[in-house]
Amino acid sequence: MTRALGVNAILYDVALTAYIVAMAAALGHLVRRREGFWRLALVATQAGWLFHTMAIVVRGVELGRLPILTLPEIVSVVIWAAVLLELWAERQYRVRALGAFVLPVVVALGLVLPTGLRSLALEPSIRSAWIWVHVALALLGLAALVLNFAAAVMYLLQERQLKTRRPSAVYYRLPPLETLDRLSHRTLTLGFPFLTAGLLLGVLWAGAAWGSVLAWDPLALFSVLMWLVYAATLAGRTIGRWQGRRAAYFAVAGFGLLLLTLCASVLLQGKHGA
Amino acid sequence: MTTTLFVAGMSHRTAPVELRESLALEEDKLREVLAGLAARGVAAELMILSTCNRVEVYGVAEAPGEARAAAFRALGAHRGMTLAALEPHLVATSDEDAIRHAFRVAASLDSLVVGESQILGQVKDAFALAQACRTVGPVLNALMSQAFSVAKRVRTETEIGRLAVSVSSTAVELARKIFGSLEGKAVLLLGAGEVAELAARLLMEGGALPLYVANRTPARARDLAEALAGKAVAFADVPAVMAEVDVVIACTAAPEPIVRVADARAAVQGRRARPLFLIDLGVPRNVEGAVNDLDGVFCYDVDDLQQVVDANRRERQREAQRAEALVEREVGRFLVRLRDVEVVPTIVSLRERLEGIRRGELDKALARLPDATEETRQVLEALSQAIVNKVLHAPIEKLRHSSRAGHGLRWIEVVSEVFGLRRGSGGRDR
Repeated sequence: MTRALGVNAILYDVALTAYIVAMAAALGHLVRRREGFWRLALVATQAGWLFHTMAIVVRGVELGRLPILTLPEIVSVVIWAAVLLELWAERQYRVRALGAFVLPVVVALGLVLPTGLRSLALEPSIRSAWIWVHVALALLGLAALVLNFAAAVMYLLQERQLKTRRPSAVYYRLPPLETLDRLSHRTLTLGFPFLTAGLLLGVLWAGAAWGSVLAWDPLALFSVLMWLVYAATLAGRTIGRWQGRRAAYFAVAGFGLLLLTLCASVLLQGKHGA
Repeated sequence: MTTTLFVAGMSHRTAPVELRESLALEEDKLREVLAGLAARGVAAELMILSTCNRVEVYGVAEAPGEARAAAFRALGAHRGMTLAALEPHLVATSDEDAIRHAFRVAASLDSLVVGESQILGQVKDAFALAQACRTVGPVLNALMSQAFSVAKRVRTETEIGRLAVSVSSTAVELARKIFGSLEGKAVLLLGAGEVAELAARLLMEGGALPLYVANRTPARARDLAEALAGKAVAFADVPAVMAEVDVVIACTAAPEPIVRVADARAAVQGRRARPLFLIDLGVPRNVEGAVNDLDGVFCYDVDDLQQVVDANRRERQREAQRAEALVEREVGRFLVRLRDVEVVPTIVSLRERLEGIRRGELDKALARLPDATEETRQVLEALSQAIVNKVLHAPIEKLRHSSRAGHGLRWIEVVSEVFGLRRGSGGRDR
């Protein structure tokens, strides 16, 4: 068992190293715009993702269940899905700078994962089939929201460039505002239903298991808060036709809450973590 | 016996425009010149690029100097010019420098306006013409196909052709940075002026539609609207129209700003989530400076646009450096490829020769074994093939390595001699 665990950890470290290389190359491409940097970033991202996939599979095999029960496992799968989405969106929207904004988030989460987060296990009372669907759906949502955040940051940067009327390197590398706005809208519409379904299942299930729909649990509370911010953004976009900038600020705020949610489940002891 | 790849000609760098103009020939004349030169066997391969900025001969010949002289004598003859008159303006390069030159020309790094896109099409036309005249051989074929791919890479991997360096095209580029596509974006042109009209035209070329034109003088608005395929609107309706459009180009001689913060705010309020881009070309300014502070409004005056133009120029220079580095790498690659081209015919005839021997001997042996089973035949076949392959391995490797090391020709001779190959089948000569 311990030896098998070692394999998973090594695969994970290789993946993370590849992500770090990819991040450095993507940032290098943003500043220097060397074609080689972009290629390196792409190849390293793809290689990292493959190793990451293997790490997750090995972990799942050795545990004999889906590896999305403990917080490190969850974060790992979130960044795995985020990288996959990033590879897709970069191609789809022809936003070569995307890696420079998604990969730092991926790397930061990935580095925190083994050290900062303790291996949290769910308390026995909440282990049921529902939990898998709840977590899996929420995860897909979270991955899309990582991209939503990256698009929002790029939008705000490009908007600043255009407002100040003094173009720097970033102006040339970043795509048009409209493209970034579409990307952030798209990732929100992609992530939000998953997030909603995931959270809804959690709430329904909590009602059944704990007897109360909103049990005093920090993770549940922050999740709801985060959901409200994203819901407001989506409503603002659809009904109020918000300006891209306001939507971008909300996307950043929502992502902040998302990170807080993750932190809360580590620092504060609730029913989600034991 | 050895041949050399060369480029000779004149361009905007070396010859005055009158001379270039008078030497530039129409296609049928060029065809004549190419056919004539080919018939006389001046060069193994030949291609003529003739545009208003350059007249150049690309070729492969044993005596490049003579080939160049013959080509320009023939080109000059059509205009009654002697070679002596042309000679002082000609620049000739060969081998590596010629390759570099071909790549730089195709990639528009040698153009008067660096990064312009026409030249690639002109090089392609010249190549097609030479192909039609059958004056293209393996070397020019390889050179040009790689030149086209270099040009494509320079265009897609650098921003050299994309960065605007005039005020009007910079304004349009900014519009693209805001809106992405210009398709269906409505434009309002306030006043008139050369730069403003050009910007409006460029926006419409990008797909912007419709164009509204307003002027203090209604007749002037009507004329301009007609000229630009737009719609004239009364000056009093400007605030209402502004709420509808995405881009406003202001270029009036008004002493006071005509678009005030209140106007812009009113225009944005009705529009929901669509940015408004104001291009203020008026001096003094037509748009109040504080308009830019409104959310979703981007306002650029002449000075701002000039700032962006300057930034574009600097960026373009950086991009040109990147393009040159890319060309340099491709030149290195092509040299390797060229050396392979050099030894490939020898390798092919070497294989053919040994295969011929093998087939002949095998048939003889099988004729003497009429009762041979299928298995025996197969064994003999495999045996003879294995012997040939093993014998060939060393000389072929030697040829490849020596050509990459730059002394392929010597080994081509040695191998041809030793294996009794037809002379002249190796190398670039045909």
